[in-house]
Order: sequence, then structure tokens, then C-alpha cells
Amino acid sequence: MFRFDPYSPAVDENPFPFYRTLRDEHPCFWSEEARMWVLSRHADILAALGNWQVYSSASGNLMDELPNRAGATLGTTDPPRHDRLRALVQHAFTKRGLEALTDPIRGLVQEQVAELAGRREFDFVGDFTAKVTARILFRMLGLPPGDDQEVRERAVLMVQSDPATRQKGPQHIAAYEWMQAYAAGVIEERRRNPRDDLISQFCVAEINGERLLEREVLLTVTTLIMAGIESLGGFTVMFGLNLADFADARRQLVANPALIPDAIEESLRFNTSGQRFRRKLMQDVTLHGQTLKAGDFVCLAYGSGNRDERAFPNPDAYDIARKPRGHLGFGGGVHACLGAMVARLAVKVIYEEFLAKFPDYSRVDKKLEWMPSTTFRSPMVLRVALD
Amino acid sequence: MAHVTCIEPGGREVVIEVASGWSLMQAARTQGVEGILAECGGACACATCHCYVDEAWLGQLPPPSAAEAQMLDNVADERLPGSRLSCQLRPGPEHDGLRVTFPARQI
Repeated sequence: MFRFDPYSPAVDENPFPFYRTLRDEHPCFWSEEARMWVLSRHADILAALGNWQVYSSASGNLMDELPNRAGATLGTTDPPRHDRLRALVQHAFTKRGLEALTDPIRGLVQEQVAELAGRREFDFVGDFTAKVTARILFRMLGLPPGDDQEVRERAVLMVQSDPATRQKGPQHIAAYEWMQAYAAGVIEERRRNPRDDLISQFCVAEINGERLLEREVLLTVTTLIMAGIESLGGFTVMFGLNLADFADARRQLVANPALIPDAIEESLRFNTSGQRFRRKLMQDVTLHGQTLKAGDFVCLAYGSGNRDERAFPNPDAYDIARKPRGHLGFGGGVHACLGAMVARLAVKVIYEEFLAKFPDYSRVDKKLEWMPSTTFRSPMVLRVALD
Repeated sequence: MAHVTCIEPGGREVVIEVASGWSLMQAARTQGVEGILAECGGACACATCHCYVDEAWLGQLPPPSAAEAQMLDNVADERLPGSRLSCQLRPGPEHDGLRVTFPARQI
């Protein structure tokens, strides 16, 4: 009998064969291990994303939700509260603001690339993407430099789950608590010394004349740091992995860096780091002959929808000329990724600089160690050799 | 229902029908107009269904909400006086003949 266990290391390593079976044979599947339904077809996921009234985020959006987080962040509230929170944060993510950040980001990337000079082999994650993405986020949020690797380690740990117990382990909860304490320190500092930045404004923001709840401020800042570092870092690694594995695509980008944005879109489709998120049903739903009950949790397997041949022809081919419209790499609906523009810009700049210095590289290990996470997917270590 | 002329980034003009209650973005995408991403599916949560409304029509459409106005800061192509998010426009019979142009870049 077919099983789909998102806690299984086999799914961490390669979820795509499981997804194919889900889409073709069990488009609405009850996973005993995850204790939720799994939607795997592009059209079903898109419909769910567009229907927050039925597919609610207010009970959490991570497959394994962190304690006490649901209801206090952008990703874990429904409209209208969500929309008001989003409006407060959105203005810090404007195109104009980002354009001003392009040169500083490029400077950070160049420093990090320069550190790799002379190496024949290095860990693409630990020696490069982890450092550069954490530093970019620190710069964006105005966090004190120096702590970035400690913060990054906790961000990566808090999104993981224990594959044996199928829940968060004490080390994951400890990382989450550490991150909340870190965020609380930043918030306190901003209240004492306000600046013209996102966190300062968020600390004193009001909705309908009322201050945000302390829990909302704390957990939203915690989540911004977590998502910024973990999601940006995870995707940056996946893009680099694709360019290692698909040398023709990489050579095209080296020859013509203007193609990098198209390749980023294809990687967001092909194997983005945000693989699965969840919703909770607000009413009974009948889908593909199954009745899903109000109160049931539903996994939206973005990574599967992105490989659905019903939406993308020849979906298992990595094709940088594809220009995939409607991919789920940034989710969709009211919760469409707030950081999409930042991510596109940062990844573009990172690879413009990296490929200019290191046009030829290949991965050393055939088998990679993947992060144990039910929501995100990226390798923990990616050793690369420079040719 | 309204007929709306959509001008694609390549210059092709497509006349679409927008049924009552539909957004311009939904109708244009369903009828195969090129140049729209609509990453968030019409939730005013991205800026990838950007269009330029013909100046002659600007005053005849309801002005952007605060959320749309804020999101218009993020359009990828140039922001012009006629810039709107097509997911937020719901043309009615009084807008029959409306003309909008979709920009070359949405991301």
C-alpha cells in the first residue's frame, strides 16, 4: 500500500517519485504519518491558495507548527487581520527600498566570494550561501553584525523535525526559544533607540488605533528572521545545486548573465526549498471522491504542483528557457511570499558575482545529507569542486 | 459585461469580455492575454498583474484602494499615472471599450 510520510528521510532526499504517485493515483491522500490530507495537483493547490475562507492559515502554516506561533504572524492569520498586518510590513519591502539595497548586497556578496579565492574545494552551504544570505538579511533588517552565523544556525534548526518521533525535538524547540529571545532583544533595543527601519516601525504600529499585541510583534519579527535566513538560504543553495547538476544551463548563464532571472524562476519551479505548507479546513470539502472534514489539516505540496504535467509540459526537465508561469515557488493567494522581490534580487546578485568568479564547478558527493524538515528541503552540506 | 482591449507587451491587441463580477486580471488570463503573472492570484499581495489604463479612462474607474496604492510601489516596470493592478479592476458595462496595456516586465 502506498504511504506518504513527509518525516521520512527518503522524502527529504527525493520527494518527486512520491509526488508523482500522489498526483496520478491519490490526488487527495490521507497521510497517516502526517495526520493530514495531501493535495498534490497544481490546480487543487492553486484553488486552495485562492480560498482562505475554507483553507485557513490561522491554525498554522508550517507542516509542524511551532508552539504558540499560529495566529500571531502574517503566514498564520487570515484576512482581515492578515491584510492589516501585511500592510504594516509590506511598505518595508518596496521596490524603491530594494533598489537602494542592491549595491550594499553586491558589496557583501563580493566580500564573500573573495574569501573563497584560491580554494579548490569548499562547502557551498557553510562556506558561502549560509554566510552571504545571513549577512544580507542582517543588513536588510538592520541587525547587529557579528551574530549572523549563530542566528542562522538556530533558524535552520527551528524549521526541522525529528524523523523518528515525527515531531519537533527539544533541540528544535530550544532553537525557536533562542530565536524569540534574540528577537525580543532586538525589539527592546529598537524601542529604546528607534530608527527608520522595519522593526522600529513594527514595534509601535497600530491597527485601527490599537497597538499590535506583544505576541504579534515578537513572533512576526522572529518569523521574519527565520524565513529570511532559512528560506533565502535554502533556495540559494538549491539554485547553486541545480547549476552544478545542469552544467549546460550554468554555461549559458556564464555566457549571458541576463538569463539568470529566467533560471531562478525555473529553479523556483523545479525544486524550490519551500516544498509543503499546511492549511486547516473551515468546512467540509469533497474532492476527488473523498470527504475532508472541517477541522482537518491539509498539506499543500507546492513542490508537487510544480512538477505536475497537467500544468507544466515535461515537468521533470530543468529548462531555463521555460519561463514557467504560475509556479508555486512563492506560494500564492493572500499569503504569496512577502519576500519574493527581495529573494529574486538577492539570488540574482549572488549568482552574478559568484559565476563571474567561479564559472565552472561541480558537486563532489553524489549522495547529499538533506535537512530533516517536513516543510523545507535543502542539503545541509554541498561540497563543490572548482574545475 | 464589458469589452476591454488588452494590449500585450508585444503590441498585439486582444479584445476580451469581462463578465460582471470578474476582475480584469481573471478575464484577461482566462482569455489568453500575454504579459500577466498574477503570482498571488488576485489577492493584491504581489504586483505582477500591473497594467496601464488609457488616460482617457482613468477618471472613470474607482481610484486604487490604500492596499493597491501601496502595492503599486512595487511594480517591476515603470510606474506611470495610469498604473493599476488588473486584479483590482472590475470593469462594468459603463467601462465597455476600456483600453489597457500590459508592460514588458512583471518581475
